[in-house]
Amino acid sequence: MNTFGLIQIGLILSSTTIISSLQCNHLPLQQRKVIENSLRLLDKMGKEFPQQCLREKMSFRFPAQVLQPRQKEAVEVAIEEIFQHIFYIFSKNLTLAAWDGTVLDQFQNGLYLQIEQLEACVIEKHTQHCRSKDVSRLKLKKYFQKIDCFLKDKQHDLCSWEISRAEMRKCLQLIDKVTRKLKN
Amino acid sequence: MAEPGAGTAAEPGQGRTEEPGDGCTEEPEGPRGRWTAERRRLRVPGGLWLVLPLLLVPLPCAGQSRLPSPARLRVQAVNTNFSLSWEHGGSARGVTFSAQFQWPELKETGWQELPGCQAVAGTGCDISSAISEYYDYHYVRVRAQAGPLLSPWSEVLEMVPEHVAQIGPPGLELQSTNGVVKVMVSPPEANQKTKMWINDLSFKYNLVFWENSSHAQLQSKTIFPVDTVDDLAPDSTYCFKVQANLPSEGKQGLFSPVSCVKTSQKVNDLLCATNVSVQALNMKFHLLWDAQENQGVNYNVQYLLGFWKKLNDDYSDKWLSVPRCENITSTSCNLSSVITTTGFFYLRVQAREGHNKSCFSREVKVDPLKTNEIGPPGVRLDLSDSLLHIIISPPGGAEEEVMRDHYHLSYRILYWKNSSDMEEEAKQKEVKQTIATVSDVSPSTLYCVKVQAFSEPYNKSSAYSNQECIHTPAGTSLPLIIFGVFTGALLFVLLVATPLVLLLYQAYNKIKYVFFPSCQPPMNIEGFGALPFSTPYLSAAEESVENCCVIESMVTEEGNQIVFADYKHSKQSSRDSGNYSNDDNTSGSKGSKDTLEKEMV
Repeated sequence: MNTFGLIQIGLILSSTTIISSLQCNHLPLQQRKVIENSLRLLDKMGKEFPQQCLREKMSFRFPAQVLQPRQKEAVEVAIEEIFQHIFYIFSKNLTLAAWDGTVLDQFQNGLYLQIEQLEACVIEKHTQHCRSKDVSRLKLKKYFQKIDCFLKDKQHDLCSWEISRAEMRKCLQLIDKVTRKLKN
Repeated sequence: MAEPGAGTAAEPGQGRTEEPGDGCTEEPEGPRGRWTAERRRLRVPGGLWLVLPLLLVPLPCAGQSRLPSPARLRVQAVNTNFSLSWEHGGSARGVTFSAQFQWPELKETGWQELPGCQAVAGTGCDISSAISEYYDYHYVRVRAQAGPLLSPWSEVLEMVPEHVAQIGPPGLELQSTNGVVKVMVSPPEANQKTKMWINDLSFKYNLVFWENSSHAQLQSKTIFPVDTVDDLAPDSTYCFKVQANLPSEGKQGLFSPVSCVKTSQKVNDLLCATNVSVQALNMKFHLLWDAQENQGVNYNVQYLLGFWKKLNDDYSDKWLSVPRCENITSTSCNLSSVITTTGFFYLRVQAREGHNKSCFSREVKVDPLKTNEIGPPGVRLDLSDSLLHIIISPPGGAEEEVMRDHYHLSYRILYWKNSSDMEEEAKQKEVKQTIATVSDVSPSTLYCVKVQAFSEPYNKSSAYSNQECIHTPAGTSLPLIIFGVFTGALLFVLLVATPLVLLLYQAYNKIKYVFFPSCQPPMNIEGFGALPFSTPYLSAAEESVENCCVIESMVTEEGNQIVFADYKHSKQSSRDSGNYSNDDNTSGSKGSKDTLEKEMV
């Protein structure tokens, strides 16, 4: 590779870094706030986990290794994927859950804000050719497919919703931990 | 992984030393392993190497010709419709193909017949029915058959259905109203039972449209599932097509069919509110607009949580009224009760006149933390010694905690010496706390300070606060201080320390004098200390009672009173006393004392 090619690559990389830093500096701070807020709202929208649902609890086995902080961008992509899935899960068939509608709306609104920001700041620049990210994405899709199927099988009844809500809380707590680690 | 018997045994036509085996020596290494058809070579004696090339050339007159295996396997898919295709170089007559697949996640191992792809005549088949797990690795292989001849298995194709699949075309509906076009997009697999793209909310729709004229310029816009396109020329035909994309996976979907619609005339309703804008200071949001008509217009401000637009359903029933901004006549509204810090909001103003006429203004999107402006902080100055303290009160008043929390506020302090003769450059200091100290202040100078709050993550800064000035007191010079300290110390030494030392010295001397006297008593009074006071020495001549002239000398305690008594008197008296004194000391001494006193008198 000749010097000119190297210079070109250097310029492109530096310019993307500059552009991203101008628009997206607030992303880590905002992400922490959104996650804090989301956890609070998730607790607020319903009551305590009902005792009768303990029997039906099942282990979904969240693929925690996708959040191992190997590379900041790969983790951010995984977080974006998780937010998308959580947003989707909480968007329909919630009548039997009997949760506070206003709180739920705010929860969704917060997730949506963060998804948009991540799409603008991280996804656009992340190379799509990383094979490693593909495996993480597949694992996440399988995990959320399990939850989706679980909800469908139980016809979105109260217990299935409460179990899913508890599972999503675990998810968000993991993301919270990773986000704090990434910042430091 | 069991080696299927059909792989090598049922190939009678081969009869070659070179046997293309597959999977004999390798096992699939799990989902990430790659299968490669390895050619197993038999060891041949050296001489036969010359003969081998001849054997490899297909002899035209040989009864059995080799059937090549299919090559360049490809799986293509749109949504959940999968099709397998390949290339085959052999003679086209009567050749059929069969495929097998393997899916390690399944309990049954080994190659399975691929349904929909057994004995097919063409070079492709539909394998949708076989694929059910879209996130798992699948392995496919094909071979050709011509009569009894079977080709070797092709190279194994490894694929993940979800990676291969393309996003199908979405549905598109158009509605032309009042000069704008309302676009309604339905997701690619809208009514399907089994979906490839389960999360249909993650699509980003790209609308491409152009005016149906000769100089058509393609315009492209990212839209929500239900959206409007304005800024279109009235009474013209526009054509639209939309694609669904997944940017996080780098996938671009197929375009929907093109749909055209004619725009209507735009009615310029004077009722509508115009110039709708949001102004925010210290997290207090206000919506402002202009009224076109002044008389009898009531306004109703509505807000919408941003995420409703992301959903596939129509959100027109999700608009809510802002409290205390319903049926108002003023052209401003306080939004602080509905705007929270996490999330987008849309706002619009409905203008109403009477019962019939109503008009919605344009929508305004609000990103609270980005739209909000930070106000100036408060500043107070304090002096102590030669330090200037700058006490900052954060902006926001009641909302200051929210702002500090979300913006991570820092403060930029500008301070300078305000003197009429000298122009000095202002110095700058950046702090994160609300107290700062300037240490190098000169005395008798007027210092002026102003502070600005800024947020580094959001790249926002407030206006500067009011200027605060303070006059530093006349400086106490250092030599004066030193002199003062010295004088004080000196006085202390003179007035307090010296008398104390003298007092101590005197006490020491007294003690020394009493307990450890330096002068000794004379030698001729040795042993004096041993006898008690009451028994003075008496002459030894008391025992002889003769009347003779003996000079008696009596030494009393004083030591210097020697009384030469008359002989007679003393003798008599002394005789008596002597007797007494010899026997009894006490009475004798008394007596002698008396006589002594008498003599003296």
